[in-house]
Amino acid sequence: MLRYAALKVGRAAFVVWAAFTLTFVLLFVIPADPVDLLFDPAELNTVPPEVREQIADSYGFNEPVVVQYLDRLGHALRGDFGTSVQSGRSVSAAIADVLPHTLLLSAGALVLAVLIAFGIALVATSTRHPWLRNLVESLPTASVSVPVFLSGILFLQIFSFGLGWFPSFGDQGWRSLVLPLVTLAIPVSGPIAQLLVRSFAAELGAGYVTTSWAKGATRARIIVGDVFRNASLPALTIAGITFGNLVAGSVIIETVFARKGIGRMTQTAINTLDTPLVQGVVVFVAASFALINLIVDLIYPLLDPRLRAIIPAAAA
Amino acid sequence: MSDLRSTIENAARPRRKWPWLAGGIAVVLVAGIVFAVTRGGRDADASAGDGGPVRGGTLEFALLDFQRSPDPHWGGNYAESIVSNNIADKLVWQDPDTGEITPWLAESWDYNADLTRFTFHLREDVTFSDGTPFDSAVVKANYDQFIRGDEKLGILPNGARLFPGYLGTDTPDPYTAVLRFEKPLASALQAASITSNQQPVILALSTLKLSADERTDPKKVIGTGPFVYESWEQQVKTVLVKRAGYNWSPPALHHQGEAYLDRVVFNTIPEASVRTGSLVSGTVDATLDVGTTDEQPLRDQGFKVIYRGVSGSAIRFDFNTSLFPTNDLAVRKAIQRGWNRETVEKTVLTGSYSIATSILEPSVPGYADYSGSVLKYDPDGAKRLLDEAGWVPGADGIREKDGKKLVVKLLGINNLVVNKPAYESIQQDLKQIGIDLQLTVVPIPDNTALRAKAKTDWNISAANSSRNDPSVLSLSYSPLLGNGSWLEEGTPAYDRAVAVLPKLETTLDPATRARYAKEGQDLVLDELALTNPVYNPSQVIAHADDVHGIVFDAQSRNHFVDTWKSAGR
Repeated sequence: MLRYAALKVGRAAFVVWAAFTLTFVLLFVIPADPVDLLFDPAELNTVPPEVREQIADSYGFNEPVVVQYLDRLGHALRGDFGTSVQSGRSVSAAIADVLPHTLLLSAGALVLAVLIAFGIALVATSTRHPWLRNLVESLPTASVSVPVFLSGILFLQIFSFGLGWFPSFGDQGWRSLVLPLVTLAIPVSGPIAQLLVRSFAAELGAGYVTTSWAKGATRARIIVGDVFRNASLPALTIAGITFGNLVAGSVIIETVFARKGIGRMTQTAINTLDTPLVQGVVVFVAASFALINLIVDLIYPLLDPRLRAIIPAAAA
Repeated sequence: MSDLRSTIENAARPRRKWPWLAGGIAVVLVAGIVFAVTRGGRDADASAGDGGPVRGGTLEFALLDFQRSPDPHWGGNYAESIVSNNIADKLVWQDPDTGEITPWLAESWDYNADLTRFTFHLREDVTFSDGTPFDSAVVKANYDQFIRGDEKLGILPNGARLFPGYLGTDTPDPYTAVLRFEKPLASALQAASITSNQQPVILALSTLKLSADERTDPKKVIGTGPFVYESWEQQVKTVLVKRAGYNWSPPALHHQGEAYLDRVVFNTIPEASVRTGSLVSGTVDATLDVGTTDEQPLRDQGFKVIYRGVSGSAIRFDFNTSLFPTNDLAVRKAIQRGWNRETVEKTVLTGSYSIATSILEPSVPGYADYSGSVLKYDPDGAKRLLDEAGWVPGADGIREKDGKKLVVKLLGINNLVVNKPAYESIQQDLKQIGIDLQLTVVPIPDNTALRAKAKTDWNISAANSSRNDPSVLSLSYSPLLGNGSWLEEGTPAYDRAVAVLPKLETTLDPATRARYAKEGQDLVLDELALTNPVYNPSQVIAHADDVHGIVFDAQSRNHFVDTWKSAGR
């Protein structure tokens, strides 16, 4: 078990390091100079070379590549990703500032998405009307197909500009969280619901269901008592993918709803080639990804007794 | 699931209530949505009494950008320059109508004959919002840091580009500051007034001592302006409150005393439809960055749309004179004459934008009109020019010379929505006269990346400059400064440009300067044909009709000292 854990932790650390290195290389081969983006494009040629030099120096962009890489890596290990080129703030402070907003949004959207997904799966399995089942089963596909910016703007038109129930921008407590949450939860719920509908259907056809049925259990009792538990496990596996969806969705959600957050910060950072900030965000996201997968890997054997038997064998 | 269980289940008749209930809910939902969507729009504000200014109230303002740092010396985007303009003042104010430099924190000024020393006589009654006095030592500290930066504090030399050859500031007495330069710099006076990009606003000494990181605490950023920071939330909003006791707005604005408004909230709303939606639903009072397609619908709904051209140069095609085929004067002139202005004006631009009639925007002092001469649609003249230069039409209609095709590659920025459609219209017209204009119109970072090879890869770089002074001519095209057309040393064109353009920096006499500006425009547009001006961009604001007195300054940034709301709420 210890060896299994060490292996997984090592793999996670490698992923984070690789993300760091890859971003560094990518940002370095881009021919544009982050210093140039501090100036009006039309006035670039008028910036005296010594000024450019001074600015590049102050960010350490003039050092040899290897020195820059090692220097940044060394600092990054201590959690210091340098200073944002565009704002002069420290990268860690900038991330820490916006992170809670994105976390709240993603966590809320995840909970809502899981509720929606289970709702869809339960209705699809328990209904006795084929038309309703077909309708509900097509919802996951539909939810992934509607782009978030479209549904977001539509919700705003109806519930904010039309009915005036929720604010259209900014941060005003729970009311400004409702529309972004719903908008983000819908596409995220899609893959989870799809998976659940399938595994609910599979479990419903399993032998033990027939047994319960034969013993006289009601339909509701079978679905909630037996099927629900067994069918939920696969949903945990796609937690990693779900996290990716949440992060990708938050970029657009935060833009449409003018919310503070890491997605929008990343977009701005990329648009302005804010190298230190982009790197800080990428490493942070990679670390979160690795951590979530690590947790899933470590929890799985606890939930599924079959895996507990395999691990020692594989590790030996 | 066609097992025994399902078969048994499905044999029983389902209850029939469900579909009706579901159908009913669906109908109610759809009706609700339709009602909500069509109902939109705020109730007409009846109390639009057009009396004098009313004090009090909060202006909710929406815009696209956000302030990345509250430090006014730093920021270059619209949010940053507009907020800076409202929390801090500058030595001089440029009148947006006349282009004249008028007093502000400096009551008067003089300069030596060769324009290397500018002496500012300062107002004596000005204080910072923390109570400290404004004097020449403060001016010196500001200009020194703004132009040279401070490596220890992480402050960049933001102002170096505005004040080339800055030697220092002398302070002979507490209310006299003398800026000294290496070479004549006529544009220094306008630079001291500039309201766009990084700007020389005057900050308190306590602020100048802070590092870049410490300046992200808005409460520590102290100016002399009509508003002070209440809060700054990156990506979301900046809130300013009225400065009590403010009494030194630029005399040219004719505003006495404090600002009328109690608060101004700058709300960042990146999505265009959300900005207009928020205006229509009454959540915001005014919004900047109004899309071209939104202008007329907003007017129809009773909102006021105000705008001002972005002063400086037009959006223009700068030709690369060192690269085939734009090294041929005939090609450059043919492009100037080869596209139909009327088409662009009718199909692409709105009434807030205008077709360029010179390289300078009409409000820039020294502007001259070329719409009747060089910048006139004349396809026959353009064809004749190309014929005479030996460009013969090829099989596909594109002209050739010595076996090489007349292909012109353009690099542009898509930051303004009308750019691409305007360029495409020009592209179609040029094809008619045998020029193949190839467009690469991309976002700013990609543009900056591609610009690294501007000299060798691109025949045309499309851009504009926002500075309300004829010195944009020398800044952009003088081979000694911007050299936007890549004039090569040793060519007659290079010598001509060096002889003509830098003269703009040598005089502040309006008549002489206007003459030099005319010579410069003649050179850039006609004699050397270094550029093809396309259109004059605008800053467009839509606001509710109970909002009054939003000022557009000489660089088309906004000031709210004179702004008020009818209801005073």
